[in-house]
Amino acid sequence: MRSTVETHRMSGFPVARVTGVVLLLLALVIAAFLHLSLGAKEIDWMTVWHALFDYNTADMDQVIIRESRQARLIVSVVVGASLALAGVMMQAISSNPLADPGLLGINSGAAFFVVASLLFFPMFGQGYVPVFAFLGAAFAALLVMMLSGWEQGSERLVLAGVVVTALFSAMTAILLLIDQQGLEKVRHWLTGAIGASDLKKLHWVYPYLICAMVGCFALVRSLNAFHLGERVAASLGVNVLLLKVSGLALVVVLSGCVVTVAGPIGFVGLVVPHVARLLVRNSYAWLFIYSLLIGTLLLILSDIAARVVLSPYEINTGIITAFVGSPVFIALVLGRMK
Amino acid sequence: MKKIWLSTRSIQIKLFPNVGVYARSSDVFWLAFFCLFLLFLLLWGAAIGSYQLSILKSWQIIIAPELAPEKLVRVVWEFRLPRLLVAALCGAALAIAGVILQSITRNALASPGLIGVEAGASATMLVFVVIVPGIIPIFLLPVFAMIGGFIVASCVWLLSSLRGYSPIRLVLIGVGITSMLSAFSEMLITYGDIDFVESALMWFGGSLHQASWSQVKVMMFWLLIAGSLAWLCFRELNLLILGNKVAFSRGVDNRKALPFLLFLCVALTSASVATAGTLTFVGLIAPHIARRFCANRHGALIPLSAVIGACLVVLGDSLGRSMFAPLQLPAGLVLVLIGAPYFIVLISRLRKA
Repeated sequence: MRSTVETHRMSGFPVARVTGVVLLLLALVIAAFLHLSLGAKEIDWMTVWHALFDYNTADMDQVIIRESRQARLIVSVVVGASLALAGVMMQAISSNPLADPGLLGINSGAAFFVVASLLFFPMFGQGYVPVFAFLGAAFAALLVMMLSGWEQGSERLVLAGVVVTALFSAMTAILLLIDQQGLEKVRHWLTGAIGASDLKKLHWVYPYLICAMVGCFALVRSLNAFHLGERVAASLGVNVLLLKVSGLALVVVLSGCVVTVAGPIGFVGLVVPHVARLLVRNSYAWLFIYSLLIGTLLLILSDIAARVVLSPYEINTGIITAFVGSPVFIALVLGRMK
Repeated sequence: MKKIWLSTRSIQIKLFPNVGVYARSSDVFWLAFFCLFLLFLLLWGAAIGSYQLSILKSWQIIIAPELAPEKLVRVVWEFRLPRLLVAALCGAALAIAGVILQSITRNALASPGLIGVEAGASATMLVFVVIVPGIIPIFLLPVFAMIGGFIVASCVWLLSSLRGYSPIRLVLIGVGITSMLSAFSEMLITYGDIDFVESALMWFGGSLHQASWSQVKVMMFWLLIAGSLAWLCFRELNLLILGNKVAFSRGVDNRKALPFLLFLCVALTSASVATAGTLTFVGLIAPHIARRFCANRHGALIPLSAVIGACLVVLGDSLGRSMFAPLQLPAGLVLVLIGAPYFIVLISRLRKA
């Protein structure tokens, strides 16, 4: 008897999943190298390698990589990872396959608060920007909840998101019309620009980000139970209300951080969990890990596309993710909704 | 004599010599009330501006232009009046489109912008303004925007009826297509020539500053044709809101009625989007305000929400002109600003009830 349990545990070592993670990590490294080498000036891989591990300030190509592309790569990694986590969490707590911080207006709420704070409260230091983003995200999330309620269907949630997005983007547009000079500075950022970001902004947010990511993994057990249904979760001793509130708070913090760093980038949180669910289904711990990796990969690839497609120009990364994400959204609607 | 029954328990109104319309007295009262309110708003809108007039004075100028000084007549008749009328007509058209869409999707949150008309028209407009400027004359732009809106709306319709039509799918696919097109538009805005982009941005906000009498005529034409057709469908709408099966049992085939109603909705929306830019929030809130006075009796709901929609856009445009005086805020943005909080409160109350 005992030995069967032992063997179960032994065979329970998830070989396939670990292999998947290793493969994804490999893909991630290749994508990162591509990201560093492609661009306005193509730089060969050897130089990239040297720039990373044997830095020589005399070589201009290496300086390009260290000074501009490396920062951009780090920002895409962080943004991709946190958007993916936010998406998984959002879809889990609302039990809704179409939830996404961008689609539900949370990003645009955060963006409005950031723009308003830059205009009206310039006396607060820039370190307060993430706080305003959190406030905006939380406010937008509350509005969406008021409009749709937890138990309503996906359609109602998405429509509430559309209304809230319309509200906040109109208010942002009015602010930009009132302060015409501000338009130039903020215009790029508002469509989700990795390129306009830098490592300084990352320093404002990383304490919050690390806390939120750890928080996501801490909720894994309750989420696994919640996946079986609200009643089952309650009977297994999960405080459902607490789970939902803390999940929402994590989403707010994660997407607020992303908006602070790179502007509102949509659809990553929608697409990534669905791709990850093709690979793993039954465990939120693995789902989080896979989504983290896939989100990072997706954002690095979109950022490469953003710089390469219209080569002398750069497209904002948020636009690329919308191009990738909205067909997936439509396919989901066609495939899933009965 | 032909009799049109808008509801039971009603009084008769003679519209035309041979048609008797029967309507509830409360509906007639509210309709008359909002018509008067619209008239007042129009007078007020004609009076305010960088050249301030009194409401009485603007009334005199509109009624008897030959008696007033020529300068004032020009200000009112050439600049303010066409703008106000375009605002009112667009508002009415969008409100009717909103009623139709909310009824056929049976969803209080549906707005005419959702089926992709708005995004299609905007993207077409931007392509012709930013990528290939000068290839078509300016006065044909609205026509092309309208065609673009139609094409996108029919794509949404085809996609959503691909595996059996359902209202949920229609709306959600509209959301998907809209966000794809708006990504495209944003790309054009970010990389386009700044001069073209500025004018496009004004148009996006739903601005009426270029309104002219010819636009008034065009809008009037569309509103009269599509609006009256929509009004004549009030019985179908009354039944469709009860569900496809009920409607079918009462002789309304939703496979025939839906495409026609949707077509009317798209025609009304794209006409006004092409004239005045993205104002579609009106289509979301005007029907809700109207429903508080006449519930879901579409015979009264359609005209009433048309008048309320007209009031809203005129109000939004006049406020946008006067709030930050030298600066003009686009009417669409002002509308969202006043409409959205009201809407959120309204919906959350409805949910509790």
